[in-house]
Amino acid sequence: MAGIKTIIGLSFVLAIGFLLVILSAALFKNYLTLLVVATYVVAPLPNWICGRAANPDDFMESAGSGIVDFGRFLTGFFVVMGIALPALLWHSAQIVGGAATMSVVGGLLIYATIMSFTMFFQEEQEF
Amino acid sequence: MSTSRLFRFPKPAWMNNANTRTAGVYAAGALFSLGFYLLIDIAVWSKSAMNPSDPAIHITFVDWIPGICSALGMLVINSIDKSRLSADSFSYSGNGVAWKARLVLFLGFALLAGGLAGSVVVLVLKYIVPEYVWPTIWMGVGNVVANSLVMLSSAVLWVAQNMEDEYTYNLAL
Repeated sequence: MAGIKTIIGLSFVLAIGFLLVILSAALFKNYLTLLVVATYVVAPLPNWICGRAANPDDFMESAGSGIVDFGRFLTGFFVVMGIALPALLWHSAQIVGGAATMSVVGGLLIYATIMSFTMFFQEEQEF
Repeated sequence: MSTSRLFRFPKPAWMNNANTRTAGVYAAGALFSLGFYLLIDIAVWSKSAMNPSDPAIHITFVDWIPGICSALGMLVINSIDKSRLSADSFSYSGNGVAWKARLVLFLGFALLAGGLAGSVVVLVLKYIVPEYVWPTIWMGVGNVVANSLVMLSSAVLWVAQNMEDEYTYNLAL
């Protein structure tokens, strides 16, 4: 499933995403939009950490799913943060509209790459 | 389960799906993020060059109080274990756990409703009564929208967590 074509395609998309974000910062000499990259790199972490912390074996104990839910809540928070942060900066005239659009699109591409890479990677480990 | 229901229309099957409640938790996080960044937006906007008010109107601590109340209320509501609400009907859990849970939950809902009401109060008293016009009044409107989003996020999270309870209940039977 996860062949060499998938990996090449994903790395292309990741490179385009980084290109868009770095251009949005460098073209306008305003490096605030690089925060978007940090946001999307941090976004998959809560699910990963909370998935390790929770005990999936005892589903009769309802307290175990609370921490997983918290991780999902934080993930949703970070994903929207990646869109809200450029919009906020644009609204307060810190960056121009073009930079905001480019960083949002680039950030979404980076996040989609990370997500689909984890998805393909986990499918191999399934047994 | 199906014989003891009250209404003619049954609850749709996807409501008890595990995927639906996962999506609900993600949506709650997204809504809370929107509300939080709206609050940050009005604060940043008030100090930026886009704020055209001539005797400068800025966000003060008063504008933050409703948001802080809403966030605290959301924290209180969603840190309660929902199964404790009916704990007094079982004989093995004494010491009035359900009573305490209801009291804390009431405090949480009061904080949440107080936050929303407080944001409307700030909008009316600080921005509408002195008759400010649109770009300035955004600082009050954004506050109200942000607090409504936090409240909506709290409701979505509550519904999603109750969904989980019924799902595990069906599984346990």
